[in-house]
Amino acid sequence: MSKESEIQTERMIEMFDNLKADKYPLQEYRYIGQKIPRNVDGLAKASGQAEYTMDIQLPGMLFMRFVDSPYPHARIVRMDTGKAEKLPGVRHVLRYDDPGLPETENIGYFPIFQNDRPLDCVAHFEGQPMGAAVAADTEAIAEEALSLIEMEWEQRPFMLDPVAASEPGAPLTYPERYSDGNFWNRGVLDELIHGDVKKGFAEADRVIEFKVNRYGHTWICPERPCGVWRWNGDQAEVWVKNQRPFVAKRDITTWFGGIPMNKILLHMPYQGATFGGWTHVDWSFGGLYCAAVVSKRLKRPVKYILSRREDFYGSSMDEGVYLVKVGFKNDGTITAVDGTVYHASAIHPAFSPVVHFHENTRVPHLKGQIKSIWVNKGPSVGIRCEMLVPILVQTLVMDRVAAECGMDPTEVAQKNDGCQGHDMNWLNEQKRKRGFVVRDSLKECIEKGKAEFKWDELWHKPGGRKLPNGRMHGVGFTWGHEWSDSTGSGEIAIRIERSDGTATLLGIHCDNGVGAETAYCQIAAEELGMRLEDVHFNPQFDPGFHLNSPDSSCGTSANGFAVRHAARILKQRILESATSPSSPSQRGSYAPAFPNMKPEDLDIKDSRIFVRADPSRWISVADYARLMAIQGPVSNAELFGARSAWTEPLFAHAFHVQEGEYNPHSPREKFCRQAHFMEVEVDTETGEVFVTRVVNVNDVGKVINRMSCEGQQYGGSIMGVGRGKLEEMVHDPVTGVMLNGNLIDYKIPTIKDVGPIGTVLVETGLGYGPYGLVGIGEDIATVVPHLIGPAVYNAIGAWVYDFPITPGRVLKALGKI
Amino acid sequence: MSTETRTFTCPYCGESLDTQDGLKSHVFKSHKGRGLPAAEGRIKLIINKAEHTFLVEPNWTLYYLIHDKLGLTGSKQFCDRGACSSCTMIVDGRPVLSCMMLAIECDGKTVETVEGIAAEGHPLIEAYVNNHAMQCGYCTPGFVVASKALLDRNQDPSEEEIVEALSGNLCRCSTYPQHPIAVKEAAAKMKADKKAKAGV
Repeated sequence: MSKESEIQTERMIEMFDNLKADKYPLQEYRYIGQKIPRNVDGLAKASGQAEYTMDIQLPGMLFMRFVDSPYPHARIVRMDTGKAEKLPGVRHVLRYDDPGLPETENIGYFPIFQNDRPLDCVAHFEGQPMGAAVAADTEAIAEEALSLIEMEWEQRPFMLDPVAASEPGAPLTYPERYSDGNFWNRGVLDELIHGDVKKGFAEADRVIEFKVNRYGHTWICPERPCGVWRWNGDQAEVWVKNQRPFVAKRDITTWFGGIPMNKILLHMPYQGATFGGWTHVDWSFGGLYCAAVVSKRLKRPVKYILSRREDFYGSSMDEGVYLVKVGFKNDGTITAVDGTVYHASAIHPAFSPVVHFHENTRVPHLKGQIKSIWVNKGPSVGIRCEMLVPILVQTLVMDRVAAECGMDPTEVAQKNDGCQGHDMNWLNEQKRKRGFVVRDSLKECIEKGKAEFKWDELWHKPGGRKLPNGRMHGVGFTWGHEWSDSTGSGEIAIRIERSDGTATLLGIHCDNGVGAETAYCQIAAEELGMRLEDVHFNPQFDPGFHLNSPDSSCGTSANGFAVRHAARILKQRILESATSPSSPSQRGSYAPAFPNMKPEDLDIKDSRIFVRADPSRWISVADYARLMAIQGPVSNAELFGARSAWTEPLFAHAFHVQEGEYNPHSPREKFCRQAHFMEVEVDTETGEVFVTRVVNVNDVGKVINRMSCEGQQYGGSIMGVGRGKLEEMVHDPVTGVMLNGNLIDYKIPTIKDVGPIGTVLVETGLGYGPYGLVGIGEDIATVVPHLIGPAVYNAIGAWVYDFPITPGRVLKALGKI
Repeated sequence: MSTETRTFTCPYCGESLDTQDGLKSHVFKSHKGRGLPAAEGRIKLIINKAEHTFLVEPNWTLYYLIHDKLGLTGSKQFCDRGACSSCTMIVDGRPVLSCMMLAIECDGKTVETVEGIAAEGHPLIEAYVNNHAMQCGYCTPGFVVASKALLDRNQDPSEEEIVEALSGNLCRCSTYPQHPIAVKEAAAKMKADKKAKAGV
């Protein structure tokens, strides 16, 4: 085996093995780690030219809207659509009892929810799109037609409170699916037992218990759920608002008795944010399915749209009641944590409340369970992200222990840092084993964060600082590990274009705004030796290569590998091509571009192939690739005696396969940490909490695009503050109807609602992703929401355990109401 | 059988005629060469410096007209009730929520959309790209238009003035801290360009 083949083989093996640090690090970085503008998507987005599914207009296209249930639990007993059908402009009314609709269908990611019927006749929450869909010339006509549909309902008892719904004899909330109680548990991710909590509590100096109510909040994606379907003969052309292109296609291929994958033309327009949300609701493709049925019947394209209010019927993955018990020593060492969560309507398994203690602490005895209880509210799904439950518990336990011991919470953090019940010595040994440098990520994060925040000057005893403006001043601290997973598989190809030698990344991917596309171009440019402006990625069209879904979780950490692999293989291919005889045919071949050289004698920099020993000998990749351009279908130049050398296709495909460790029972050790600091002012007269400053310190392992990382720190903090103090879906307990399903009554933060945000990035290289990176997009908005709890405690000296921390709840904690 | 008598009204002068043929000869005789009569609901707008004429239904919003009918899809609808400012357009020099304004009210007005702002090469566009003042991008055009309206009336806005001007725009990705940076950068560029133009 030649040396090159050996290297090639080794690099192929690398695709399956990212358990160790990079074996082929670059000596220097030109693009990676820099502040790179939004090269891929920025201009289109800023100038209004970026096209979203909501913007798609096709000749003859109809608009489809759905009936919503007015009751939280009810069955349709009679439905008259006659008047709606007669309304001018209405082209079709699809009914739940249409014989053309299947009983069950693959209409979403998690096929476990009740609504696997495209149009249901039983509502399990108020606002559920169901019963009938109207397709009309305009959305306004469709909406008017909905009001003309006459319906009679059989109302059923409903439950909104997960604890009450879990009691024996409680009315059934989903009798069709769960006939023997309102529980839904799989016992896979939702339960975690490590050590023996009884022993841990016995070893403790003190044991405390507390209860937390976390009320539901939701995603609020700016683009409403929608999709467009057009039949081109027996081929389906589909535009989806969804963050899983492959899963979308995989579902669609099973519809109507089977649509071959190669007859589905999938468009992935820009996504008006997703955050998980609807993508995880299995009904999310019910609308698309109905659009496909009507499109088939009328031979016209159909766009289905949900209303802004309909978009509200889904909750984050932390709504519920938390019962927490913690044992600790007087020096802040935690000996045991036991947590139980009554979780409202979790559509897929939430993570055990003690997962984070297992993943990033030395706490030896843990027991945690989530009881998923079905209530008659919209489904609760992973929204930035499914770790909300365990990180809420970690934040409140750590800060409560610090408060009980009268200790600085940053000290308590370091006292308990570790992994899987082991201390830092054990964790450092794992770093060494996996080929990483041994650095103490949490220590570095805390040191940098304390300096940036001026923690030592600002931290004080609870309720101990009144400001000149009359408000109470408070600071809070929390921490966790970074979301280091590189789970999932992704594939991508890179092609050097004919004629100008630019590089195109080929892969379908959901661009929901995190800037991953620019990051992939940076990685490709860096590894290929191309200029960044010569590398482009248009992820909206389907070349048949699918990047890792869900396309925002684990994006750079998984797909970054595929891009890097592809770029390394392609670079090697270019150099081999440049040193090999060109255009071999039956007539012979031409001399190589670089005769009498080997690939290792050459390199590529600034989009130029050059001789290492004599950089003045070079040819641009553009000129090299251009050799093909003289060959047209009728320009066989050889007939005229001219040279018609051509360059072999310069194309490489690579993939990343990694099971990852998204499994609390066999986790991979987490090495990177994050630390967050918050400063608040509390008005004790009105109860209002003002978040005046947040400082985020994220050990991302390795920065790819500094500005994208900072964007996630800003965005995550502000969304987190919204979740912590503003966001709550309020239901009327008497009728079960959501009272604030609109953007006036459900508040999300504006530019004025959060003070300055400090962004510190630490780069220890301790991540499992390429270059030792970890993800940053999901975790900050997940960690920050409940940091407001300890910050408010530090301000007023009383714990508020009802989230969001609204003025009323602060006043209640102060004993004023 | 219906006994109702039908009359035919002249669209130019309002005169009533008994038959369609009577109306035809009346129009030919009295109004020859006048062009088509102005239909009810016909409006004229200057959109991004170009004149447009539309026949609109009375319930159409300006947003619907421009986004759905004209096909300038840069403006976006995020909320459904004037809460988000993603549909902001500049009408007669003022930023307005185009989803809260009826198209028929806009007869004779000038409208600027994000497409027009980009087409004129406004420095805000480059500043937004350079400073990542966007993530998913859905609300971005609304911010750009609101910022343009601010820079039109205030060429050197302070941080507070920028924040105030953008306080009605919702961004769920929460890119807020990047906007004042981008707007200031654009303002500085405009200032420098103006100086260069004046030959200072």
